[in-house]
Amino acid sequence: MSKKVAIIAANGGLFDAYKVFNIATAAAASEKEVQIFFTFEGLNLIHKQGMNHLEMPEGKEHFSEGFKKANVPSIPELVEMAQELGVKFIACQMTMDVMGLSKEDFIDGIEVGGAVTFLEYAKEASPTLTF
Amino acid sequence: MNITKTIDATGLSCPMPIVKTKKAMDTINSGEILEVLATDQGTLSDIPAWAKSGGHTILEQKTEKDVLYFYIQKA
Repeated sequence: MSKKVAIIAANGGLFDAYKVFNIATAAAASEKEVQIFFTFEGLNLIHKQGMNHLEMPEGKEHFSEGFKKANVPSIPELVEMAQELGVKFIACQMTMDVMGLSKEDFIDGIEVGGAVTFLEYAKEASPTLTF
Repeated sequence: MNITKTIDATGLSCPMPIVKTKKAMDTINSGEILEVLATDQGTLSDIPAWAKSGGHTILEQKTEKDVLYFYIQKA
């Protein structure tokens, strides 16, 4: 059984963030090694300012009530927990270049890498998930 | 049953009960028992699945007044 989980985060909305970080923290809490590769809009999820203002899909704003009721942790809280549990965050270099972003635009503790870095890791991972 | 530690994850939703359980489990020794309280119905399948992945044993599981109780013996 593989001890590695690989996740690609390619979308930047609030729902995307929950899908990514819930699975990542759950996996890390189950003694898995976890890496998340953030690419394109996914970079939003670890952007210092962006991560605090993630949007819900258009027309789904009424779910904000449900989030409160279910006592769901905030994204910054989940991110902190994920890092505490050892989840590794990798920001896609190419996307950063395209968007004019530097490592300082992101939360502390991330790494910057390319597709091959991720593929090398994902080679031995099971499952590999894409959000 | 000799409970070493209790954690209260009532009112919390996924993945928090699992994260709290894992953290508490890290602080006890092999063979010792952790009591987990939760209200998230997802834990009914999540905690057994989590225990299985770590080789831990669920000695008992019960529901009392909408609160779920799990007694997990560390592997």
